[in-house]
Amino acid sequence: MLSLLNELKGPITNGLLLGGLYGIIGIGMSMIFGIVRLVNLAHGDLVILASYLSLVTMTLFSVDPIFTLVIVIPAMCIIGFAVQYYLLNPVLGKGMNPPLLVAFGLSIIFQNLLLLIFTPDARTLFTSISVKTISLWGFLNIPLVYLVDFAGSVITIALLHQLFRRTYLGKAIKAASDDEGAAQLMGINTKTIYAFAMAIATGTAGVAGVAVGITFTFYPQTGPEYLIIAFGVVILGGLGSLFGTFLGGLILGLAQLLGAHFLGPGFQLLSGYLILLIVLTFRPTGLFTKV
Amino acid sequence: MKLLQSGRLYGIILVMLALVSLPYWASRYWVLIILLFSLNLALSQMWNLLAGYSGLISLGQQTFIGLGGYALAVFSIYYGLPIWLSIIIGGMVSALFASLISAPIFRMRGVYFAIGTWTVAEALRILFSNWKYVGYGMGLFVKPAYALSFNTIYFTALGAGMASVVLVYFLLRSKLGLGLMAIRDEETASETLGVDIFRCKLTCFLISAGVTGAVSGIFYLNNIFIQPNSAFGIDWTIRLVFITIIGGIGTIEGPIIGSFLYVFLHQLLSGYPSVSLLILGIIAIGVILVAPKGIMGTLQEKLGFEILSPRRR
Repeated sequence: MLSLLNELKGPITNGLLLGGLYGIIGIGMSMIFGIVRLVNLAHGDLVILASYLSLVTMTLFSVDPIFTLVIVIPAMCIIGFAVQYYLLNPVLGKGMNPPLLVAFGLSIIFQNLLLLIFTPDARTLFTSISVKTISLWGFLNIPLVYLVDFAGSVITIALLHQLFRRTYLGKAIKAASDDEGAAQLMGINTKTIYAFAMAIATGTAGVAGVAVGITFTFYPQTGPEYLIIAFGVVILGGLGSLFGTFLGGLILGLAQLLGAHFLGPGFQLLSGYLILLIVLTFRPTGLFTKV
Repeated sequence: MKLLQSGRLYGIILVMLALVSLPYWASRYWVLIILLFSLNLALSQMWNLLAGYSGLISLGQQTFIGLGGYALAVFSIYYGLPIWLSIIIGGMVSALFASLISAPIFRMRGVYFAIGTWTVAEALRILFSNWKYVGYGMGLFVKPAYALSFNTIYFTALGAGMASVVLVYFLLRSKLGLGLMAIRDEETASETLGVDIFRCKLTCFLISAGVTGAVSGIFYLNNIFIQPNSAFGIDWTIRLVFITIIGGIGTIEGPIIGSFLYVFLHQLLSGYPSVSLLILGIIAIGVILVAPKGIMGTLQEKLGFEILSPRRR
């Protein structure tokens, strides 16, 4: 038993840390899913778009990728606001398919725009922390970058929590998601509020994009991979709950690395998908959804 | 009205004759274009049957593209079975797999169904990439297909395209189609009136999977080469969604017009693959915002223009 634990301590720790990264990838999608009731099929591509924005900023100003967040987050917020305001709001309330398909179209547009500008080459946001590992009391070696991702995820989720609790905007978003009609009667312009919610969600995608960029290589077509991760996190964590989403990320990360440990590295993604399918089978609307 | 109807009949016959005799008077380039048009038509008609008539937005049609293509490759290369038999087996394997996953996948609704089907396809993509028997990510060479002439493949593809239209037309005019329309209009009311919703949708799902698998086999006769990343790639579904949306979702003529536009645009911009997808994406969003029913749906609504009506008069 002890030897098994000793053998598994690596995959478990790294899985949990990777799960933190997955949490931040999923949080924006979870928000939009909960608030606008829209499955943003372009979420993965927004994450990758942010990675490329960071790459450009990093090269232009020759700074560390972490500092590019100053530009990436506001830029992503503006893109998200515009997308929701001009493209998604007009099709809301026209049934399930039109918004889904607009988002799908956006996904294709982002992917091919990136392909056109940046070619299909794999890129990475190289920084000195990408290659360092730290040793915990000689017991465990952890890649430093996983720790940074995890910390970034926790900070972002804590900030979002405060935003929803304390600010007018946060309360208005919650009101609009709880009861659109009543919120409108109270003088909230719900359509504009949705656009702000999308802006915040794509802002978190900005953080996720930088985290993904410093941790893994990326190319224009990696978006869908992160969309499925984000969706997995949302399914495992339940709708609209910030901490549930974080927890979903941890479960998915753990499932992937344990799967890779037992079945071989080729099966890391597969074991994540299998867990997702199993959960969908037995709880078709997610693990922690309140009924 | 009667004159118009007979005129329409003659028109259809004339177009069919032109297409069947195409290899004897047109250049190989045009034959290839109509070949691709027919395959896209058959595949998008199957997606249309799911999304347009059964309310099942599947993002996982590539599951059956991959299974059908790999069945063709495996059975014709490893077992030396005749090509046509391998293609039919591909359709059966697809339908069988669809029935296997139907129990869990039909518990998911709406968006969950969409992502669930996509996740299945992604899982298969990774499985096939790590599977020695099918040559890992390098894929397989469908060598036996070299024995076929280009014209044979063309006629098979054309036949598949036409058959898909006829199939959907008669399906919709059958009892099943009546049930589907009742479900589309009012799901709960139709169930109380005795429409077996689960069975209607399952039938469509299985038919769509089987035909998609077989048509994929015909595609890989022409393509010769199959790899997990392209066979199980989401690009397939993207293409089918765009064809159907632009042409008109939930109409039989929609996929015909959509496939034509798709192949035309694709050839026009064949030197710039990402530009053609970019333009398709922009057109698709424009269509959803301006005319959500697509070209055919809007024509029907505004002018009452229909070529093939599934409605009973």
